[in-house]
Amino acid sequence: MADFNVNLRGVGSVSVIDVNGYLDAHTAPELENVFNKLLNDKHYKVVVNFNDLKYISSAGLGVFMAYVETMRENRGDIKFSNMKENVYNIFDLLGFPILYEFYKDENEAIQKFSELSRS
Amino acid sequence: MINNNLKNITRAKGLENAIVVSILLFLFSLIFPQHDSFLLSLINEVLVFLVLLFVLSYIKPLLSSKTDSPFTLVLNAGILAALIFSIISVSDSLFGSLAEKDANLNIINSLFSIIIIFIFIVAVIYILASFRELFFLRQKKDLSIYFNTMQVFFLLTFFSNLLLKIDKNFDYPYNSFFVVSIVLISLNSLRVAWIAFLVKKQKLYLLLISTILSILFGLNFGLLLNESNTIRQIIFSFSPGLYSVLSLTMIYGMIYFGVIFFTTLFHLPTAEAFDRKAQEASSLMDLTKLITQVFDFKELAETVTSITAKVCNSYSAWLVTKKGNDYELNSVHNISYVDADKLIKMLLDNEESDLLRVQTFYYDSVSSELRNEMKEFKSIAIAPLKLQGEINGFLFTARQKDVNFDEDEKKSLQAFADYATVALENAKLLAESIEKERLEKELDVARDIQRKILPNNVPCSKNFQVAALFVPAFEVGGDYYDFFELENQRLGFIVADVSGKGISASFIMAEVKGIFESLSKLIPNPRDLLIKVNEVLKDSLDKKSFVTVIYGVLDKEAGKLNFARAGHPPVFLCSDNKVERLQPGGIGIGLDYTNGFANSLKEMQIVLKNDDILAFYSDGIPEAKNARNDDFGYERFEQIILQNKNKNLDEITNILMHDLTLFSKDHSQHDDITLVLIKWNKKN
Repeated sequence: MADFNVNLRGVGSVSVIDVNGYLDAHTAPELENVFNKLLNDKHYKVVVNFNDLKYISSAGLGVFMAYVETMRENRGDIKFSNMKENVYNIFDLLGFPILYEFYKDENEAIQKFSELSRS
Repeated sequence: MINNNLKNITRAKGLENAIVVSILLFLFSLIFPQHDSFLLSLINEVLVFLVLLFVLSYIKPLLSSKTDSPFTLVLNAGILAALIFSIISVSDSLFGSLAEKDANLNIINSLFSIIIIFIFIVAVIYILASFRELFFLRQKKDLSIYFNTMQVFFLLTFFSNLLLKIDKNFDYPYNSFFVVSIVLISLNSLRVAWIAFLVKKQKLYLLLISTILSILFGLNFGLLLNESNTIRQIIFSFSPGLYSVLSLTMIYGMIYFGVIFFTTLFHLPTAEAFDRKAQEASSLMDLTKLITQVFDFKELAETVTSITAKVCNSYSAWLVTKKGNDYELNSVHNISYVDADKLIKMLLDNEESDLLRVQTFYYDSVSSELRNEMKEFKSIAIAPLKLQGEINGFLFTARQKDVNFDEDEKKSLQAFADYATVALENAKLLAESIEKERLEKELDVARDIQRKILPNNVPCSKNFQVAALFVPAFEVGGDYYDFFELENQRLGFIVADVSGKGISASFIMAEVKGIFESLSKLIPNPRDLLIKVNEVLKDSLDKKSFVTVIYGVLDKEAGKLNFARAGHPPVFLCSDNKVERLQPGGIGIGLDYTNGFANSLKEMQIVLKNDDILAFYSDGIPEAKNARNDDFGYERFEQIILQNKNKNLDEITNILMHDLTLFSKDHSQHDDITLVLIKWNKKN
């Protein structure tokens, strides 16, 4: 089946999740584990880098919906960056851009967090 | 069964006959207390022989039931030998006085001697029968000929005594038979295979008993040689044949127990190894049984560790299995979980790559760090749980004594590790098959729900045609479409896709159907309806679930279509030789329960012209993939509709399905495919 990899790294106070491959109902639990770990460690500022993601299914989208509320309640957020057009279209169709912030570049998203905490 | 009955009959008869012949013999000896004629002697000897024979036929089946316990046979023979010894040794004081007082044998005296003789007959026969059972014990070949030959020579010796009656000097046959009997006794005494199968403790015990018994039988024989011994006199005068058989039996006992003594002595050094091998074999047998019966791996792991410790002569044993990159301690024997865990970490951290075979660690040769942990143990052996070259875990065993593990112990450790591997695999496969079965049942239910939810027919009207196509994915996506006849000549229709798969998706689908069935009649405006649905579903959708919907209402007379889209792929309108994607704003239901949903949602209205085709579908079509993971995409989809717009709707769905199948022939369909086509065709 399709491969999926997820990697977590910290950039300052922001956690960056790199997703890679195919995110569907079978691989979504791996991403959920990462989010659970972030919640455990009380890291609420998250940027998801989609640079290497090839496909996302509805179950994959659901992961972000499940965690975004908690992140926002704790003055954090989930922001998306480096999305390929085909993946973005899926988010777009569903109306995600109305509810989430999308950035061309990971640093822009990280920047946004630091601006927010300064204000 | 028949055989058993026969045995019982002969045994009963043996007792009967023995009693009858005994009475005859008793009467005979009362009538002829002393006889010198050959004929009377012959009759006497034949009677004695018959008593011996019948007693033997009675005792034989009695003993054959005791062959499982050679010790009982040995002890019984020993007790009888001791009885004989005590009778012989006290006889002088008991009978000596009697015989002296009254030289003529009186009735009481002869009665007494007859009782003694019967005791001796039974004892001799019992001892011989015991030896016979011991002789055949654990023999793999049929050796009855050797024992039978010996019995024949006993018989010959028995009757050759009579020849001495004829001529005192004619002792040649008697002596030669006697000697041949002794030779045969010696040969038969070598059959002691059963000793090997005793455990060490039993062997030590046997060593002691055989010494005593050999001496006892020898003493008996020696005492009986003494011509002045009263018992010897009584027996010899009663029946010389019985005397010779008694002597032979005593010789047999002496030689046999002597042989047993030396054999046991030579078996002693290997006794421990033999015991261990026997234990190993029986443990493996138990394990095999366990593996087929026990599916709980934990239980089996406990058995494996306790047996491993026992068979490998070690104090502790523990079993770990791999869980991803981590280890899970399954069972421990004589060691705490914490200690075992520490040792596992220390031993496996640096050595894992080499652990393809059994490895041993000795106290002196390990690093001081490890030595600290190993303070209770002097040596540890580790065997991998290997399956098809992959290591699934390890079996450990540890000793407190400073004794190295030998090759045999390593081999048995690996054998137990292999058994644990098989059991582990069994348990895993079983769990998998149960899970698979459960999932399949669940999918069956989900498919059933989906089938019942979807409409059986498409609506028809003189002004338009409708065609619908639905192809469920194996795992059951959450696609749903439906039509609702509304008042004022209007038709409501929905195409929706519930996120997720399987039974949870199909339940939400059922709920969505219920909501639309009732609300479509109450709320005529599609946008208002979707806003209401979003509110209603708030309580039943979990955080990560959402539903994409297109809901429209078509005026069947005017061809006017109002629709709203909540996160669903756009509607295709094929009109005037081109395909237009209609995508009014709207986020998926379940993404946002605040005003954001209503704010994003836009309604669209179009008026259909003749030959216009509308296509509503689920993302299963544009997201269908080929072997290279390319999407089928919107363009191919549009082209198919455009090129076939003049065909009837069923043909268009067939062509689309055909092309879609061709495109994704090397890729399994992982989402439901739904397509609803509406063609406006109003005749004026």
